[in-house]
Amino acid sequence: MRAFTSFMLLLSSMCLLTGCSPFASDNTVEEIAPVTFLSVEAGGEKGKLKVSTLVPPVMKEDKQFFSTNVTLLEQGRRSFNLKYYREIKLGQLRMLFIDEKVARNGIVSLIDTILTDPEVSPRLYLVVFKGDFEAFIKNRMQQQKDLDYYLYRMFKHYEKGKQGEITVTNIHEFMEKVYSPYSDPYIPVFRVDKDNFRYEGTGFFGNGKLKGGTDKNQDQFFQLLNNYHFLKNMIITPLDVSLGEVRSRVTTHVNLNDHTVSFNIHYRGRIDEYRGTKDLDRQVSIYELVDELEGYMEEGTVSLLKKLQELKVDPLEIGGQTMAPASKPMSEEDWIKFWESAKIKVDCHFELEPLSI
Amino acid sequence: MGDFILFDKTAQLGKGYIIAFANRSQMLYFILFLPKFLEMPYSLLGILAIGILSQINLFILSKCLSSKYTQQGYQGFADLLGRRTLRIIAFAGIAFIFIKMSLIILGYAEIVHQFIFPAMQLPWMILFIILLSTYIASQGMEKTLRFGIIAFLCTFWIILLYIPYFFPPGAELHDLYPLIPTDWSHNPWKGILMVWSSLSGPEYLLLLLPWLNSKQKMLRYLSIANAISILQYLLLFLGCLFFFGSTYLGKIGFPVVNMIRYLQSPVFERVEIIMISLLMFHYVFFISVLLLCLYGAIRISAGTQDKETTRKGFYAVCLLVLAGVFFIQSFYWREGKELNGWANVQLWSGAFTYLLIPSLLLAATKIKGRGSSL
Repeated sequence: MRAFTSFMLLLSSMCLLTGCSPFASDNTVEEIAPVTFLSVEAGGEKGKLKVSTLVPPVMKEDKQFFSTNVTLLEQGRRSFNLKYYREIKLGQLRMLFIDEKVARNGIVSLIDTILTDPEVSPRLYLVVFKGDFEAFIKNRMQQQKDLDYYLYRMFKHYEKGKQGEITVTNIHEFMEKVYSPYSDPYIPVFRVDKDNFRYEGTGFFGNGKLKGGTDKNQDQFFQLLNNYHFLKNMIITPLDVSLGEVRSRVTTHVNLNDHTVSFNIHYRGRIDEYRGTKDLDRQVSIYELVDELEGYMEEGTVSLLKKLQELKVDPLEIGGQTMAPASKPMSEEDWIKFWESAKIKVDCHFELEPLSI
Repeated sequence: MGDFILFDKTAQLGKGYIIAFANRSQMLYFILFLPKFLEMPYSLLGILAIGILSQINLFILSKCLSSKYTQQGYQGFADLLGRRTLRIIAFAGIAFIFIKMSLIILGYAEIVHQFIFPAMQLPWMILFIILLSTYIASQGMEKTLRFGIIAFLCTFWIILLYIPYFFPPGAELHDLYPLIPTDWSHNPWKGILMVWSSLSGPEYLLLLLPWLNSKQKMLRYLSIANAISILQYLLLFLGCLFFFGSTYLGKIGFPVVNMIRYLQSPVFERVEIIMISLLMFHYVFFISVLLLCLYGAIRISAGTQDKETTRKGFYAVCLLVLAGVFFIQSFYWREGKELNGWANVQLWSGAFTYLLIPSLLLAATKIKGRGSSL
């Protein structure tokens, strides 16, 4: 009796855990298409979305590009299922590409939809694109096998490396920043056309809507001011110099009485390449270069911060500095009001490791 | 098939069992969404304050546990309170035990439904949990209590999963501000009540006394268990604050489970499924103990406590519980981010039993003791 009972128990728990049960959805490999990305564009009519994806991403079959016009995101999945012999599963969804126009209208509800699906990981990467993503995928999927997978690996690589080449954001980070009062989310922006998928900079969001972004040059300043505080490679064309392994240490100070926000930034980097006229063997010219670099960094940082003020966003979480253990925190509106009109003081210090073998 | 004996005792369980039981009883269903209700960082102080109150309560409880009446099990309680009163109390106890048990079952079924099997019908999960608990409980009280160690070992280390959340860049110091409450626009009383209610559970040790070794420093073990629980509460809440930030935290259904979804492991894609499955050991253990308590309470209130336990009777009780839980599931249980009606009932009933039972019992012992010495 006891042996029988334990056997039945074992059997039933095995059934439950492995999913061979009458009440779990079925996941036979031949019958499903676990897609790795969804792209969302504005549809033809107002309020409509155009959802696209590539199926099947894992099997050795010819890939097909699907797209459909829908009002709701989940409707897209259903309409794919209706015209395709496999069932679309979102369990392996890794990337969400969002068209710039959709992003400008706000994407919080879109992301909420994705986030409520327990299968979808909160580490899903978010990307904003400008241009014709469909043309890019259609063109490239012939030339390159597993295009979607390698796109995913790219984001994963730069997320893990934290090397500041491109901004990487996932859904959780985005949502946390949307809700937290002193920080605004940011998402990498890519420009796509038929042949290229090119990183353009970081897009800044305020209230869940895309407000604006950096260009490629400005993005370097953002990376150094932001979380990672690191740039593997910094190109400074006006000074004909390229720096490697630049690390920054930022101290921010918000003075509510003076209405100023001051930044004190220490950089440390190595000269990788120099094509200017100075003779870098002489210490004096190194000092000159350092002075020029500091001036350049200050200028660039100030212009980036001015842009953030203009856009009324605070992706750097500067507002967090106003909090203290025992004081009442400012409201989000108060902070943004303060921030957009605050005076900015930037002080840069550069420590340069010379070009040498 | 031999006799069906549920309440015999052949050995006395030592300190490990007491600590494991008390600690696990304080880490039940409520902690999975407690951070959502605490929300503001200054509730950390609230947890600490309630922890100290709980410690005082455990002091009272340990006094009760070591009194000569409670040590003798049913006979002692009958001497202390009188048979008639005891029957009434046992009858009332049925309700409390059932509320606690049904909340654990329904809550766990809901979590499984939400995170693992969204397509599953809830009654299947309820049936499965009750079947498992019935099996474990039918092994008798002693073996069930021994199973507590397994439950403890299976679930204790889950707290370690939360360590990665304490490191930057996710964790920043200003996530924890303001530490001192500055205005009362956010009303924390419900969260604080929930901490107290969630800490309730050690009072069930009163019913298990005959199986425990009585010559022990009860207070010390209870204090250890309580301290571990408070530490775990603090860690979970801090982790949630770092991960979500206080505003977002208020909008998350089960923050403690949801956080785990963010973890990456090279082997398993979804760590939270493993965590939820292991939590089942913990919950099933507790439900089995409560099933046995319920059976005992029904026997006492029916006046049949001196007769032998029967297989039929016990299974009938389990079936009754199943029917009751189904009933509640269809009429009172609603899934959602808000605390539903039934969880609210447990919130109050748990707080009530933890607050009153030790003190009332101690008072009864003192009065009786004075009466008998006169």
